[in-house]
Amino acid sequence: MREKLVVAFVALGAILLAYNLYQIFLVLPDEAAQGYIYRIIYFHVPAAMVAMLGFFAALVCSVWYLAGGDLRFDSFAASIVEVSVVFATVNLVTGSIWARVEWGIWWTWDYRLTSQLVCVLIFAGYLIMRRAIDEPTQRARLSAALTIFGCFDAVIVWKSIEWFRNNHPGPVLSFRTGGEQRMDPAMEHQLFLNALALLIMAVALTLVRARQESTAREIDSLRRAAHV
Amino acid sequence: MSLFSQAFAVARKDLAVELRTKESLNAAGSFAIVILVIFSFAFDSFSDEMKEYGGGLLWLVFAFAGALVFNRGFARELPNECLDTLLASPLSGAALVIGKAFANFTMLLVVELVSLVVFGIFYNVDWLGQAGWLGAVFALATWGVSILGAVFGALTVNLRLRELMLPVVIYPLMIPILIAAIELTNIVLTRRSISEDMQWVKVLVASDIGFTGLAWLLADTILVS
Amino acid sequence: MEARNFTFMFYGFLAAWLIVLVYIVSLARRGARLTKELEDVKQLVASGQKS
Repeated sequence: MREKLVVAFVALGAILLAYNLYQIFLVLPDEAAQGYIYRIIYFHVPAAMVAMLGFFAALVCSVWYLAGGDLRFDSFAASIVEVSVVFATVNLVTGSIWARVEWGIWWTWDYRLTSQLVCVLIFAGYLIMRRAIDEPTQRARLSAALTIFGCFDAVIVWKSIEWFRNNHPGPVLSFRTGGEQRMDPAMEHQLFLNALALLIMAVALTLVRARQESTAREIDSLRRAAHV
Repeated sequence: MSLFSQAFAVARKDLAVELRTKESLNAAGSFAIVILVIFSFAFDSFSDEMKEYGGGLLWLVFAFAGALVFNRGFARELPNECLDTLLASPLSGAALVIGKAFANFTMLLVVELVSLVVFGIFYNVDWLGQAGWLGAVFALATWGVSILGAVFGALTVNLRLRELMLPVVIYPLMIPILIAAIELTNIVLTRRSISEDMQWVKVLVASDIGFTGLAWLLADTILVS
Repeated sequence: MEARNFTFMFYGFLAAWLIVLVYIVSLARRGARLTKELEDVKQLVASGQKS
């Protein structure tokens, strides 16, 4: 059943992605000031959206685990975190390349970049730490605590540097600007479509990863039962 | 017993043990001084600009020394099954964590005071006039990192790679506190007015309240041994 | 300028896809390893029960 779900998601994601790539490269016009390079926004921003949604979903799963003690929520949280770290890295790398062209520098300590980097550091630490713990319940508790503290921390980093360092382009999507149309509607529509495609891809990857986590738990319990 | 009196009892016990053995204080203190000496070769330590960079240097030193202090926090309870006894006692998890955090806080403040004196001498920075403001900034920021050190010290105490895992886990979490502390320390050292940059104070206060609140809420759930 | 932009944009897309591809490959390898390990442990348990 789950395999069919994964295949369905992959197929849907692939179709949507193909359509999006066609739109991005062949249909939409160049941006007025930036020329061709701006098209990277269609992966840069959606990757950030998917990553942030993922970290929030991991937070929910972690709280749910602490409330109920069901290790499946811990497995799910770990899978979501892993996939979200990948997408956050995509966001940072594409942003860095774009920044090199637009501003001439690979990096700046602006609040969004710094917040995203801190998120990646926190959750990369989460993944490293998980590998160091063999006992499942201990690992789950530590992971849950780290996710909760990490998400709170990420919000504080975001807010604190937003007051201070602000040279990343401001919000252009209409839901951030309160209805004001700063980005062409066709482009904005395409951006959300690609966000959907990336989200579908992320869900498929998470399902695969979660399946691997339950296989690992099965191996673990078989070993314990057989004292191997 | 209320939460505070329980926490205070835990802190008093830890500080009494520490005063007798001085293992954390000696290690963290000498480590801090060595780092300050090494950094003096990295920068032109007598320039006036040291006041601009002093905050960054000091807080890097405190972060590294802090990791040493936090590591010992729960690790000292491992021999003779003291940790199991503490967890089995009527002591609430929150009181244990907050008590340990307070002990961490006190020890780290001592290390910070020593470092500040050494910093003033080696880098020729006169901070005595700002001692009050520095004290306030140090207290706010040190509490934030201490509570993080206590929570994750408790969680990592049984890991085989504890000394490695604790820094890996808490340094990213400390980033907002460290940034705010560095900015505020630089402001105080360069004799500027804090009221122009109040957002950093807000960050410290928000972090302190948030992390302490989360520790209080989660301590009993996560401290089951 | 246009050509340079195009090159960088290509690198940008390449980087994004490469990161995701590397992750998918590592996921596939981990999956294969886990499946094999599960089979091995099941065989071990079965042979252990027989003896």
